[in-house]
Amino acid sequence: MLTGCGQGRARYTPDTLRVNIGNEPPGLDWHTATDSTSFDVVSNIMVGLTQYTPDVKCKPSCAKSWDISPDGRTYTFHLRDDVKWSDGKPVTAYDFEYAWTRLLSPETAASYAFFLYDVENAKEWNAGKLRDAARLGIKAVDAQTFKVTLKKPAAYFIYLTAFCASFPMRRDVVQKYGNRWTEAGNMVTNGPFTLQKWQHEYKIELAANPNFFEGAPGVKLIRMFMVPEQSTAFALYENDELDFIDNRSFATPDVERYRESPEYKNFPLLRESYLAFNVKKKPFDNVLVRRAFAMAIDKNVFPKILRRGERPADSFIPPALAGSAKDSGMPFDPDLAKRVLAQAGYKTGAEVPAIDLLYPNREDVRLIVEATQDQLKRNLGVRVNLVNQEWKVYLATVRKDAPPLFRNSWGADFPDPETFMNLFTSYNGNNDTKWSSPAYDALIETAETERDPVKRADMYRRADRIMCREACAIVPAFLATQNIMVKPWVKGIAMNPLDLQFFKTVTVK
Amino acid sequence: MASQGSFKYVAGRLAKIPQAVLALTLIGLICLVAIASALQLPLSPYAYDQTSTLYLAGPSAQHWMGTDELGRDLCARVIYGAQLSIAIGLTTAGVAFVIGTVYGAIAGYCGGKIDTLMMRGVDLAYSLPDLLVMILIGVLIGRGTFGILLALGLVSWMGTARLTRAQFLQLKNEEFVEAARAQGQDHLSIIWKHLFPNALGPIIVALTFTVPSAILSESTLSFIGLGLSPPACSWGTLASDGWRSLRAHPHLIFFPSLFIFATVLSFNFLGDGLRDALDPRTRLSKLK
Amino acid sequence: MLTLILKRILMALPVLFLVATLSFCLIRVVPGGPFDADKNLPDEIVANLKAKYNLDKPLPEQYVLYMQRLGRGDLGVSYKYVSRTVNDILLDAFPVSLVLGGLALALAVLVGVPLGAVAALGRGRWQDTLAMFLSTFGISVPGFVIGALFIYIFGIQLRILPVGLWESPWHMILPAITLAFSPAAYLARLTRASALEIVQKDWVRTAQAKGLSGSATVLKHIMRNSLVPVITVLGPLTAILITGSFVVEYIYAIPGMGRFFITAVMNRDYDLILGTTLIFAVLLIMANTFVDIAYQILDPRMRISD
Repeated sequence: MLTGCGQGRARYTPDTLRVNIGNEPPGLDWHTATDSTSFDVVSNIMVGLTQYTPDVKCKPSCAKSWDISPDGRTYTFHLRDDVKWSDGKPVTAYDFEYAWTRLLSPETAASYAFFLYDVENAKEWNAGKLRDAARLGIKAVDAQTFKVTLKKPAAYFIYLTAFCASFPMRRDVVQKYGNRWTEAGNMVTNGPFTLQKWQHEYKIELAANPNFFEGAPGVKLIRMFMVPEQSTAFALYENDELDFIDNRSFATPDVERYRESPEYKNFPLLRESYLAFNVKKKPFDNVLVRRAFAMAIDKNVFPKILRRGERPADSFIPPALAGSAKDSGMPFDPDLAKRVLAQAGYKTGAEVPAIDLLYPNREDVRLIVEATQDQLKRNLGVRVNLVNQEWKVYLATVRKDAPPLFRNSWGADFPDPETFMNLFTSYNGNNDTKWSSPAYDALIETAETERDPVKRADMYRRADRIMCREACAIVPAFLATQNIMVKPWVKGIAMNPLDLQFFKTVTVK
Repeated sequence: MASQGSFKYVAGRLAKIPQAVLALTLIGLICLVAIASALQLPLSPYAYDQTSTLYLAGPSAQHWMGTDELGRDLCARVIYGAQLSIAIGLTTAGVAFVIGTVYGAIAGYCGGKIDTLMMRGVDLAYSLPDLLVMILIGVLIGRGTFGILLALGLVSWMGTARLTRAQFLQLKNEEFVEAARAQGQDHLSIIWKHLFPNALGPIIVALTFTVPSAILSESTLSFIGLGLSPPACSWGTLASDGWRSLRAHPHLIFFPSLFIFATVLSFNFLGDGLRDALDPRTRLSKLK
Repeated sequence: MLTLILKRILMALPVLFLVATLSFCLIRVVPGGPFDADKNLPDEIVANLKAKYNLDKPLPEQYVLYMQRLGRGDLGVSYKYVSRTVNDILLDAFPVSLVLGGLALALAVLVGVPLGAVAALGRGRWQDTLAMFLSTFGISVPGFVIGALFIYIFGIQLRILPVGLWESPWHMILPAITLAFSPAAYLARLTRASALEIVQKDWVRTAQAKGLSGSATVLKHIMRNSLVPVITVLGPLTAILITGSFVVEYIYAIPGMGRFFITAVMNRDYDLILGTTLIFAVLLIMANTFVDIAYQILDPRMRISD
């Protein structure tokens, strides 16, 4: 990166891509990683059984084809023989067997172990109750064949094989280097790029892998900087010190200025923000009160404040996924809201005791909850106190004893409505609303194994209506978007709604 | 010596220093605004938390200082912020005063081993950087006025303590103290009636500098994300919120920063003036 | 001399011990553990993680384990940066902060002290007013506002300096100036005050009366004796630089210790928080010790009779 005294400074280096990943990845071991920063790096240096297309369907990657047994419980993957690790050795089914077993091993203490809980005996293995690996539903039949047995059929299972947690791993490398196997120089990967340099808390450099089985990627070098402050990152982009930026480098005011620029693009994400009620706490133990609140919030305000192309949400399932419908949630109707509130026993909003609204400490979230507080005061006359907590504290509070009203957000782990709807079943530990409904549970369980896509979508739609309209356990607020800026000399940036960033198709000329 | 420290004398000298007079006037004005705001007198046609659809507008006839991301009038928020910022500054000074003087008085008056031990305590307090302690406390107690005040107070008392102790150490051997002792007065009344009033001068000067320091520290805390919860807005919160919009909407950071600057500057000038006014050796004719 | 140094070091140890204990208690009392991640973790996994990091043992036992580890110089393991020890992390971050802080300190002294001296010498005249206005400005504006101004003027409007990252010596300029701004102003005011005091002292006037006037001699006397109070504040000055570095490192995306500290607190990364706190405490204690020693050398009248 050249800097001089202004004139004649090169604006970019051909074949080099400079991006900002915002933070240091806590770790690049894809079994212990839990956050999107780590996954952004891993997605570019590794490939798994399948991969995502830009419209998030599954297509073959390491596995050139797969068979599913008639009862939907057994998947047999047939691997390609030309995928190689960066040290030349071929990728085999044994690498997958080792990786999946390690992910589920209690010693690894992997946060994402639950991801493979659909596999037969996975939960017991992870809890340490089972020690016999032969009973775990994971088997490398031979070097080219990988067989997985599930405890019950799951329509979304194939998507899990495109996700980082299920990528293969090299037993010998991990055993040789132990904790340090992910440092540059030790790490062995099979993807379009390799980890060339890792300067902690500062930058990661990825070099192109010329032997990648799909052909060498378009750029030779990727520099991933770690700049947490959005304004700084955006200034770097404007100063030609970064080639591509996304939400992590975008402060809201900057979107305003660049909205008309050809360098700016906006994509919807499979991530939804919503307001949640703790239905066990007053006054939200009364469904009428919940409905009144839901009808008093005009969701069209949120996109106007955030100004990043967010869309107001009417259902908990994003429109891109099956089962989404425009009328699954409550409409905005302040007059009706007041009447319903009166029905619940509060003649005016002022009679409702002041309510605490909990939210985590983030700039854009703050704007949303302040707007919500204002809406509720204006449209319903209720007083809301904003309570703000550090991210970790907020998570702990919400989990242990959620306040009556809190803001939450959920991003898809895989492109299927299951990842959203599963959240509010009575047996999901993430269901902080404490709401449960046997009808809802039944719909979700049946949908999980239903093979007919039309029937399945209908089941999810009905469940959504139960949750957002009849029982009104949550108020969907808006769908998040991804906002990117791309310099004119960069081509081939492919974004997808899961917010995974793949750079193998990028060229910088 | 007692007459030289008297209020009239000091005030008279202070009046000869132009910057100090200006500073005092400005502080007075700001405090008036703060009090009026606290009494909820209608200084602005808008409420500080009143949103509108005129998002991020620049200064205009309708909104003198423009509006913010939620369409709130910035001028109304700055006025409300005056109340909070001044309160934070003065309360911190108060806390520092109480803790610092008591601590320093005991150390200075007792002397000897107690003094050494207590000064070790001050050393301990000094060996943790301010912001570090404030962040830890902010995280421990959570955001909210009490937590911030506690954090600010806990890092501000040491200077006052040291100063009080130095003063007491020096003053306790003066003749008038010996005279009081000879009269049979007990320790407490010696401290209260004789030592304390004479030590007061430099302490007040030190406290005058604590106020701006507290206001600045609070704004840094807000910047890191540990400041007051919305919609409460001190100048520090407003300035750090506006930081991100520097290029696109500079009015959001400009106005709160201007007020911080003016207030802090005034307190600093006032402190300078007080110190010069209190120091009998400073010849005022030389101070321009 | 040697005895003094040793004595100071010995006095510092219990302070360090107390600092470590205090920080340990503070961090453990804070709600929110290190494993509250985005998705809720099933109980088995949380139990596994806690066992791995000794968090399932009773507090007193954790404390003893911690102190033992500290004695060995092992600052522990980071929860967030899973494959790295705190020692590793700080070893990388410390030199960066040292360079930044050192540059800023040098700038602050080189700019602040002469500014204050000039003000004192020309007291009452325009040099005094200008210098004092500049320096009071410097201590009246929050650090992030100063940073914002510099980035805007030099990085974006004039485009002559990089606005972030730590790639080359050019990248050090803006952060160092931003960090040095407040301390320079503070030093200027201090130098002026102490210089004025010296100038008004009898022996300077005697020197002048004896015919030793002429700026050179007076200046030499003033500078030498003004440096004493200035050196005294090197302790608090180091403190200012450390806390200032939090903001500056964040704004300019510099991989130093200040940034690590803030992220560690947000993440409840216990050992990393304690490690950084201890390093800062050590730095401050060292600065104060150095000040004591330098004080003695510079002004024989003030030798402490210990």
